[in-house]
Amino acid sequence: MAPKKAIRKEEWDRRLHEVQVTKDDLNRLIMDYLVIEGYKSAAEEFSQEADIAPPVDFESIESRMKIREALQRGDIEDAITRVNDLNPEILDTNAGLYFHLQQQKLIEYIRQGRIEDALEFAQTELAARGEESPEFLSELERTMALLAFESTGSAPAGIAELLSPGQRMKTAGEVNGAILESLGQGKEVKLVGLLKLLGWGEQLLADEVEFPRM
Amino acid sequence: MTTRPTRSASIPIGPRGASSHSPGGRNIESVISIPFAAAPRPRISSAQSIPRSTVDDHRGLGVSYGARGSSSTAIATSPPRPTARSMAFNSASGRHSYRASSTFEPRVIRAGGEVSHSVDAACLPSTSPVRPRRQSTTASGRGASTQRPIPGVAVPASQAPPVSFPRPSYLDHSVLRHLLQIDTPPTLPPSRKADPAHEHHVVSSPITATSDSDEESNVSPPRELRSAPLPVVPQNQILRLPTRWSDQFRHALLSVSGDGRDLTYHGASCSGDRDAAAARTDHPVPAACGIYYYEVEIISKGQKGHISIGFAGRDVRLSRLPGWEINSWGYHGDDGCSFAAEKTGTKYGPTFGTGDIIGCGVDFTSHRAFFTKNGALLGPVFDNIGKDIEIYPSIGLRHAGEAVRVNFGHESFKFDIDFHVLQKRNHIWSKILNTPLDSSLLQTCLVEQGTSTSALKVPLSEGQTKDVINKLVVTYLEHHGYVKTLRAFQKQRDIETQPPFPISSSPADADVDMVSPQDESSSSDTTERDMERRTRIVKSVIAGDIDTAIAETKAHHVSVLEAEEGLLLFKLRCRKFVELILEAAELKKKMRRIGTAGSHDDGVIEEMDGLHADGMDVDDEDVVSSPQSPNTTNGFGSAAIPVRGGGSGRRRTSMSPTDGEGSLGSPLAQYESTLHQAIAYGQTLSNDYKNDARLEVKQIFKRTFAIVAWEDPLTAGGVVSEVVGHDAKVALANELNRAILRSQGRPPIPLLETIYRQTSVFVSQLGLMGVGGATFADMQREFLDA
Repeated sequence: MAPKKAIRKEEWDRRLHEVQVTKDDLNRLIMDYLVIEGYKSAAEEFSQEADIAPPVDFESIESRMKIREALQRGDIEDAITRVNDLNPEILDTNAGLYFHLQQQKLIEYIRQGRIEDALEFAQTELAARGEESPEFLSELERTMALLAFESTGSAPAGIAELLSPGQRMKTAGEVNGAILESLGQGKEVKLVGLLKLLGWGEQLLADEVEFPRM
Repeated sequence: MTTRPTRSASIPIGPRGASSHSPGGRNIESVISIPFAAAPRPRISSAQSIPRSTVDDHRGLGVSYGARGSSSTAIATSPPRPTARSMAFNSASGRHSYRASSTFEPRVIRAGGEVSHSVDAACLPSTSPVRPRRQSTTASGRGASTQRPIPGVAVPASQAPPVSFPRPSYLDHSVLRHLLQIDTPPTLPPSRKADPAHEHHVVSSPITATSDSDEESNVSPPRELRSAPLPVVPQNQILRLPTRWSDQFRHALLSVSGDGRDLTYHGASCSGDRDAAAARTDHPVPAACGIYYYEVEIISKGQKGHISIGFAGRDVRLSRLPGWEINSWGYHGDDGCSFAAEKTGTKYGPTFGTGDIIGCGVDFTSHRAFFTKNGALLGPVFDNIGKDIEIYPSIGLRHAGEAVRVNFGHESFKFDIDFHVLQKRNHIWSKILNTPLDSSLLQTCLVEQGTSTSALKVPLSEGQTKDVINKLVVTYLEHHGYVKTLRAFQKQRDIETQPPFPISSSPADADVDMVSPQDESSSSDTTERDMERRTRIVKSVIAGDIDTAIAETKAHHVSVLEAEEGLLLFKLRCRKFVELILEAAELKKKMRRIGTAGSHDDGVIEEMDGLHADGMDVDDEDVVSSPQSPNTTNGFGSAAIPVRGGGSGRRRTSMSPTDGEGSLGSPLAQYESTLHQAIAYGQTLSNDYKNDARLEVKQIFKRTFAIVAWEDPLTAGGVVSEVVGHDAKVALANELNRAILRSQGRPPIPLLETIYRQTSVFVSQLGLMGVGGATFADMQREFLDA
């Protein structure tokens, strides 16, 4: 194989410099993130400070935030009610999302040590659904495995992570995305897309040429 | 899907067709249609006149094809040929007149192919598209002189007819669309006004042109001082798209029509492989297209239809059909087989013949080709096409009477290539979005890691992803001093990362909480104070309050002012001087305005000085009705009062000694004192830096002092306005901001911006190389456009 071509630092810097992007552009990327992730007050402040029009009304951010807060404090029932208040179709048309919410509810029972409730809930609500799809079943199994460990600290990482805040965030993110989608809004945070493109591009380019790293 | 009404515009053949040249420059991004020097003697065999009527019939049918391109661009398709030729005649003669004198070598053997256009364009500003039109009346007489060779261009004369058509719209999906051009870009504006007499001077134009411009820059010295903003358009090379069959790279048995679109076989009737004859295009297909596509209409398949359509490398033998030789690929009409360096083909599609429209595309994202027949996709074929070599659209014919006509975007395509490319683009984009973020980002974004995972790349967890984004957002807000936003953001962040129930010592938790809010909040107070101060400093500069900016910077970031031997301090002080001069200019302007408004009253002073009542006095004397009416008072007063308001507001700091409400003295005195203050400041400045030998310092100084020569520097235009204008102030403020950040060990460019730029360079570099479909990763569209 021929030696990889290298791009010199000066050339690279020149190209970096030539990229057309303005502060306004970047401001909008930030705003996109604040709105989609529901940072309502930050979005409001930013709209003022950066003199940038908000892409949505702040109230819609508020209702999504309430739902997310409910999920984050583990009140799944409240979240489900609120989502249905907003638009019942969201959960009706999205079996996977509904299952994940119920799974989260089961997790919360277990976290609180309400073993009886957990078992009953699993048997009445989740077992039947586990038969619907292999993905549901394996998720159910994984969740039930939490009960097998005396303290969550002794559980293997793959199972213990169900109890982490990350798991709640994940569920909350999923719900958030579904709501945004139902509102006809983009649900992908552009900043995440940017980072993905960065990683994708860096990897591909590194295979082809040498270039100065960041 | 709408039909394109304008399609018909290219069909009628009328003398007014010439007007179809004018739309050339309308689509700025696709700088494209260039009338060209043309063939005095188009080599079109009479045999062609019959098939051509068939062509027109077909194009008539083409009206109903779905076309996604904008209808406006369609107008610019190549003008009807007869007209085109007469036009071309003129333009050709125009070229001759300077060509002939600039060099008299009859022919240049070119190794470099067609690239030589660009050289011309660079040294001859007059190669702009306006030329042919301007001289069209006079030149036609001279145009008859048929000095065939055009040495500079080094293309046989018949090589350059007025083929001009817009870049096909499907190419707009390429990130590098701005680089993809149909032939020589008309980037160089005419250097001077169109002037019929000028035509004669063109003879020596390269010399006069340069000496002229030298003179100009000598006359107006400021120009050399100008810190020209870098051109926003990347200085990348232009990527030329195929526009016509090459007259060079075609077999002798093939004739190319004047517009470069038709290929006709002229050999004696059939006799085996050895009579195969191929042609390729003038330019190769840039991989940056992502997908490139052209269509060929079979005007006549002759007896056997031994026609091959495809691609070939630059130096593939022209006595062979594409697909037979290595580095060539073709789809053959007689048997419907695909050929890739093989003698016996592989079954691929249907046969094709007279009247069929065959599309031929290459997809650089997969390095495969595809064909269409009469608008229907036949599917992918060939592997590794265009991977290591440049490829050219290429066609081979074998028998007398075979003739084809190509469409490189001259007219709408039969196949919906726009949609095809769009699908591809979406596919690539979703592939990119499915790439997991990996742990290398933690380093890139300087998110502290719990354990040093270093080299190993593992996918990021949700929490880690959030941490990374969080870091981007926070550093960005800090950088630009969006204090309130940052505060609100961090407050909410803190709430959500606080686990409601402390979950014992699970290892998973440790991962997720890598950046614990406590860590940041410990230093957050000082960070915030820092940021607020920095923002204040930046805002003072933008408000023109340089003294405050300098004082605050000195107090808290003294190293910033000392760096580079005080360069930044010098710049700030220059700005202070500018502010003083502007202030003086403003006062003078106000004086004058009130002078005229107050008509006979020479007590300008009184009006300026006076309070509301004075304004009313003036009103009284003016035409306006009731002196008591608050409306009129305000109406007029608005001219006078802001003087005071503006004065005290904007200049409070610089006016220091005399300042104070009501104690300002007369405007004239005010003006004079400000002016004196300015000059005195300038003299101090001059004195302080007289020993500074740095070129940059000298230049800035010179440029700054030059503004005194203008009565109103803000509206003076040119360099002066650049020096004094608001943008300059913002730029200075940004420079100061960066310097302070740097002094604190922070990046002078926000991480988010760095990442954006970096990513953009990755994408365009990959796009240029035709790797991975990066050309369809359109950051502008995905991230920036609403």
